[in-house]
Order: sequence, then C-alpha cells, then structure tokens
Amino acid sequence: MSANVVSMRDALYEAPGPKTRRRVKIGTAVSIVALIALLAFVIRQFYINDQLNPRYWSFFARWTTWRFLLTGFLGTLRVAFTAGIIAMALGLLLMLGRISSVKPLSAVCHVITDLFRSLPSLLLIYFFFLVIPKYGLKMPSFWMITVPVALAASGVLAEVFRAGVNAVPKGQTEAAMSLGMTHGKIMAKIVLPQALRIVVPSLISQLVVVVKDTTVAYVVSYPDLMQNARVLISNYDALVSMYFVVALIYIAINYATNRFSIYLAHRSGTKVISRTEENPV
Amino acid sequence: MAEEYAGPIIQMRHVDKHFGQLHVLKDINLEVAKGEVVVLIGPSGSGKSTLCRTINRLETIDSGEILFQGVKLPEEGKELAALRAEIGMVFQSFNLFAHKTILDNVTMGPVEVLHRPRKEAEAEAMELLARVGVAEQAAKVPAQLSGGQQQRVAIARSLAMHPKAMLFDEPTSALDPEMINEVLDVMVELARQGMTMVVVTHEMNFARRVANRVVFMADGQIVEQNTPDEFFDHPQSERAKDFLDSIKGH
Repeated sequence: MSANVVSMRDALYEAPGPKTRRRVKIGTAVSIVALIALLAFVIRQFYINDQLNPRYWSFFARWTTWRFLLTGFLGTLRVAFTAGIIAMALGLLLMLGRISSVKPLSAVCHVITDLFRSLPSLLLIYFFFLVIPKYGLKMPSFWMITVPVALAASGVLAEVFRAGVNAVPKGQTEAAMSLGMTHGKIMAKIVLPQALRIVVPSLISQLVVVVKDTTVAYVVSYPDLMQNARVLISNYDALVSMYFVVALIYIAINYATNRFSIYLAHRSGTKVISRTEENPV
Repeated sequence: MAEEYAGPIIQMRHVDKHFGQLHVLKDINLEVAKGEVVVLIGPSGSGKSTLCRTINRLETIDSGEILFQGVKLPEEGKELAALRAEIGMVFQSFNLFAHKTILDNVTMGPVEVLHRPRKEAEAEAMELLARVGVAEQAAKVPAQLSGGQQQRVAIARSLAMHPKAMLFDEPTSALDPEMINEVLDVMVELARQGMTMVVVTHEMNFARRVANRVVFMADGQIVEQNTPDEFFDHPQSERAKDFLDSIKGH
C-alpha cells in the first residue's frame, strides 16, 4: 500500500526542482508556525475560560469514571459490531437480489436499497423507537438502536458490493461459464470472492459510519459510550473535558478500523508482489 | 450417445446474429468433423470471434441452429452448463481466475463441475501443467506468470475437463512476440493428438502448418474455405486476395 501511495504521488506531481524545493521548505516552516500558534490559541482559550481548572479533569483519575466509560465503550462496540454484521449480510442479500434476473425481486431489492440508503438513520431510529412499539412490538433498547443503524448501512453496503461485482472483469465469468459452472457457483466461487477483495476499503469506511451512527443511541437510552459520557457530564458538570476525551476515544476506534482496512487492502493488494519475492520466477 | 456419434461434431446451419444494427453473422453454415482443425481468419470485425463464441453459446444467435454432436445447443441452465463443460475454450485475455493459484485454476472445473475428488484432480492437473511446461508455477497466482505461461495454464485448465472440442479465440493476440511460439507449440501438439479445434488467429504460419481447413470470413460471411495450401497459394475471392496482400508484410 505504501508503495502505491508513493507511486500515486509520483503520478500526480513531477519531481520537485530547486525552486519548488525552496517553496516546499518555506511552506513547511509557515505551516509549523501556524500550527503552533493555533495550539497556543486553543490552550489560551481553555485557560481564559477556566477549562484547565483541575475540577474539570481530576475525575479522570478515578477508576469509576473509566469503568463507566469502558462500559459505554463496550456498548458502542457491541452495537457497532452487531449492526456491522447485520448490515453486511443484508447488504449482500439486497445486492444479490438486485442483480438477479427475476425482475420483481430485482425491483423490490432496488427500492429497498434506495430507501435505506436515502433515509437518515435518525429517522429510522425514531421509527423503531416511537412507531413500531405502538403496534405491539417491544424490543430492548439494544435492538432499537442496532436494527435501524444496520438497515441504514445495508443500503449503502448493497451498493458497495454491487460496485465490486461490476468491477470483476467479464472474462472471469466467461471463463467459468466455459468450464460449465452454473450461475450460482460462478457467483460464489469466482465473482464474490474477487468483488469482496476489491471493496474492502470502501466496506471498512462504511463500517466507520456505522460506529459513528451508534452515537445516536441516547435517543433510545442505550448505554453506549456517548450516552455514558452524557451521564458523566451532568454528574461532574464537565462538558468540554469529557467531550474532548470521548472524541479521542472515537478517533481511536475509527483509527483502528481504518488501519485494519489498510492492512486488509495491503494484504490483498500486494500479496502478489511479496510472494514473488519469496520465490522469484 | 457421445461415443457412438459419428457425424460432424459441430454443425452450424443458417446462423444469423445482429448486434443492434450491425449484422455480425450472415447465414453461417459450417461443419467441423471430429479431429479436424479449422482455422478462422479474416479482417477485424469480420465476425470470426463472434462465430467462435456462439459455439458454446457465450454469444446467443438470432436464428438458425447450432448442433454439438448432433444435438441442438440447450438455451440455458444446467443443460447449457453441461454442454459447455464438454467444449474447452481459450480466450485472448487468458481469463485465469485471478484469486486462485495456478493449480486451483486447473482443478476448479473437475472439482466443481465434474465433482471429482480433489486429490485426483490435483494429480491430473499437475500432469497437465507439466505437459504445457508450467508445473513449477503451480503454487503461484496468475499475475505472477508471463502472458505465455498464463495462456498455457488456460489451455491446461480447459484440457482438465476432457473436452470433446476446443475453441481458441485469438489465443496469441495479447502476447508479446517472443511468447507466441510457446503457446502455438502446445496447440500444435494438441492438434497432433487429434483434438477437434476451432481456432481464430492471425498466425498464418500456424494455419498453414496445422489447419485441415482455413475458413475466411469478411463482413459476417464465410467468403471461402479451403485447405491451407490452396487458400494461401490460390485464394479465389477478391476479399481474400486483398486480405492476404495486406498481411504479407508481416
């Protein structure tokens, strides 16, 4: 992957000459100064508004604070993970339905995909929280957040998968057909494995969206990271410091998800090269 | 039925096909006997690739009929898949399964379609890979092989299905010049062993050396067909003469 990034840069920019090198140096110096100034400004504002006061930060030294945040963190992971799995399974089914040659099935899946894709997840959550219980279906708050988040993501994932299937060269299917493989086998053995490999990066960035969608869990009072943070905020009257820490945790979760996607793309993308190095042709 | 059948292995009768406005196959009549090597040549856009692809129904036809071993091609489903399993096909762009190793490429058909035990399929695949000279590449993935090697693997992949006939759709057109012969050598060997072959190619030396019959196409029609020596030395039609003149420089 890193090799790809470098080559992409080489493709976009020609090698810098002496003038450009000087300009790059000046630009680097200016931006470092600007960054330091910005950081100083932020710290100064914190200080002026008394946000550096120990009472806003001292409770982070207590184990109970972290235990409560950890509970929320696990709640977030549970919702995000379950919703992610459901969304991938449902997205795959919707995509397979949509590319089916059975017209009514394809049309229905098309409509469902577009519906889930275009509805805001908050609206879906309200639907499961406020509308469905009125008709007698009561579910635990875990499912009231997980299902709508999963549905919203499934629509997008169906399109991601479809893009992947379309990106598999037609010759792969033709070769499989010429061997006498049936439609279902070609999908399962030839097209889907390659399609999934192609869409791994977009798949994971969509899972980041799932993680972010779970923050709306407070609507249904599910104790996720965000909800627990809100409880702590009202307990300690510490808005800025708490959101600051929670933001760092979300960044960490999504950074981890991202690294994982890069790792996967790296593995599928450069496997060929690394294997060649092992036993050269 | 397959073993007893003695007539032409491939029969095309009054086959017509359009791509939108374009009439790509015009009243095609062609028979290929068992063990015969038929080479299709002609200018680009003459319909020779399309003709080749209609024989295992990778292209559908508008009218007329195509028979394989005396039986009309099924139109869809399991029957069509079963028929395709009996006809090998080698593509211009190799089309090896990019996510599978060379060995898995060759065992895919026998294991998934013929339901043969994997061990047995792998043993035969190794023999076939050795036969086409790429046995030591078995554990690699297609992208690690040269074009010539990939095309030889593609031939092995077809042979693993024990096809009754093989279609070659410009098998050397995507290859670097130095790799063309390694693929042609495999094809010559196949022809010697009595494989029924339909070959779309621009390799005139191959046609002269191996073909039992050369079929010349232009504008979707079969313009003339003859033994290679007759065709190359005494072409009958103006189209064929022009075509042969135009490629003489090569």
